[in-house]
Amino acid sequence: MASVSFREVRKDFEKTAVLHGISLDIADGEFMVLVGPSGCGKSTLLRMLAGLEEISGGTIAIDGRIVNDVDSKDRDVAMVFQSYALYPHMTVRENMGFSLRLRKEDSKLIEERVSQAARILNLEPYLDRYPRELSGGQRQRVAMGRAIVRDPKVFLFDEPLSNLDAKLRVAMRAEIKALHQRLKTTTVYVTHDQVEAMTMADRIAVVNDGRIEQFGTPLDLYDRPVNLFVAQFIGSPAMNILEGAFAKSGDSSCVKALGHRWPVESSGGTDGQAVKYGLRPEHIGVDGSGGIGAEVVVVEPTGAQTELVVRVADVSLTVVTHGRANLRPGDKLSLSPEARHAHVFDPATGRSI
Amino acid sequence: MNTRKLRSEAKLWLVAIPILLWTLIPIYHIFLFSISSKDSAFSGALWPDKPTLRNFGTVFRQEHFYLHHFWNQIWNSLWIALAVGAITLAVATCAAFAISRLKVRGGRTVMNAALFTYFIPAAFLAVPMYKAMGAYGLLNSRWSLVLAMVTLASPYAIWVLKQASDKLPWELDEAARIDGATPLQLFRLVYMPLMTPSLVAIGTYAVLLAWNEYLYAFLLLSHENTIPLAVGLGHFLASDDSPWEILMATALIYALPPAAIYYVFRRYMVGGLTSGAVKS
Repeated sequence: MASVSFREVRKDFEKTAVLHGISLDIADGEFMVLVGPSGCGKSTLLRMLAGLEEISGGTIAIDGRIVNDVDSKDRDVAMVFQSYALYPHMTVRENMGFSLRLRKEDSKLIEERVSQAARILNLEPYLDRYPRELSGGQRQRVAMGRAIVRDPKVFLFDEPLSNLDAKLRVAMRAEIKALHQRLKTTTVYVTHDQVEAMTMADRIAVVNDGRIEQFGTPLDLYDRPVNLFVAQFIGSPAMNILEGAFAKSGDSSCVKALGHRWPVESSGGTDGQAVKYGLRPEHIGVDGSGGIGAEVVVVEPTGAQTELVVRVADVSLTVVTHGRANLRPGDKLSLSPEARHAHVFDPATGRSI
Repeated sequence: MNTRKLRSEAKLWLVAIPILLWTLIPIYHIFLFSISSKDSAFSGALWPDKPTLRNFGTVFRQEHFYLHHFWNQIWNSLWIALAVGAITLAVATCAAFAISRLKVRGGRTVMNAALFTYFIPAAFLAVPMYKAMGAYGLLNSRWSLVLAMVTLASPYAIWVLKQASDKLPWELDEAARIDGATPLQLFRLVYMPLMTPSLVAIGTYAVLLAWNEYLYAFLLLSHENTIPLAVGLGHFLASDDSPWEILMATALIYALPPAAIYYVFRRYMVGGLTSGAVKS
């Protein structure tokens, strides 16, 4: 187990910079998720930590030791690939024991470690099968088993679940999390799926365009996004964003948008300043009256909650209500936004005000 | 069967039958000669009156002037073919691994240069090759032919193996590196096992190329004890009255090992030679 720290890490391919000075500190035993849209540089960052990509600038340290010039095999990290990358000519047992075999460990120890990992991952019945004889989920577990047997300082996961179907993905998500709680090995996990990030991470780093937009706990990111990108990226269904302007008089302030006054608690900003107003779907009440008039466009019941698409002055908003709404398309509603959950962003910089 | 299918099959047969005849008639001819006695060999019959296996006996017992070194020469053929196969495989596998997997700087140039040698006809290189072997004092040694054939077989072998190794998933190398494999361990424990079908195909290709070689063998080796059987067979034609029936019996024996090798490895040959032939 170990801490990991990135200091001003840069990566250039030819002349294009893909990472512009990333600094991150991952604590010992932490489950850290790098999340961001595809092409944002998150996988590159992980591969640099693994030693599969050169570091163009800055330093990466594992357990205080700078590893820029250390070979992959000497970094003591284990990686789970999106494509599993199992050795097709080896059985599950051989796949899992391969790293120990390379280290010339005693065969008895290898056997012991492999069967222990197999027990944790429920792979015992498959130890003598070849990867081609396994299902996707089983292959994924073998890939994890290969990482576990090594007892490395850091686990690296590169979008490990994106090749699985939706149901299996949810199951494996829980398995990986349970595994981490059991082994408590420092983990860096890359995904483009914000739900995966939210459910698994101790802390999340949102990466966009080669920069870290925000680094914090899942709920911190959800409740207090520092900018528009994080606000829109985290949360499903996504946050509603309206264009408007501050209207301040004395202590009370609100945002004027779509011909209505939307309440805020923000203390910054000046009267008349153009802003973007953000509100999560579950922070809009529909039960009251005298609020903002809206018309129901789509009703999507999911059982526990109901997602509504409503229209206010030709702009669509998403609203989530708990329980079942007795509504039909065309019904009129009165929306009551919760001021304390409203976010206001500067439209030019995207920063939270 | 509907008429459309019948017609397309008929077209296939129209092509297949001539090709089949074209290939089989000479082989049948060889076979026919080899089981005929000296007198009936030129009778023109489709089957000899008294088929005989005596010709083969004559060959195996080296009972003819041209066959005094038969066992020696077939051993030379075998020795040279296997050596060429082994060395070509070693050279080409290492080259393909270095170019395709280790991404050695200048690898592409090496491969293009190797392929470029095929623009020069082998006959064209014969004289320089003869001079070179002479300079190294290798003339009349089996090694001269081995080295020459490795030179001719390697470019194609490197090319095919490089294409095949490009198809191996890159993540496997990365996984092995993270698992702690050195490049040599990666080569031995991951690369070689996965390349086995292509290696068998290319090895067979090189063995057969060397086994069938005549020109360079004729040129570089001239002593009766060092020449391979292909050249020995050529000597039959030196006399005015060639013993055709014995020549053909020897030729048939000579043709058997390649046929056997091809039969054993046919699965690899088709897959291995075409896989990686086209970039998909």
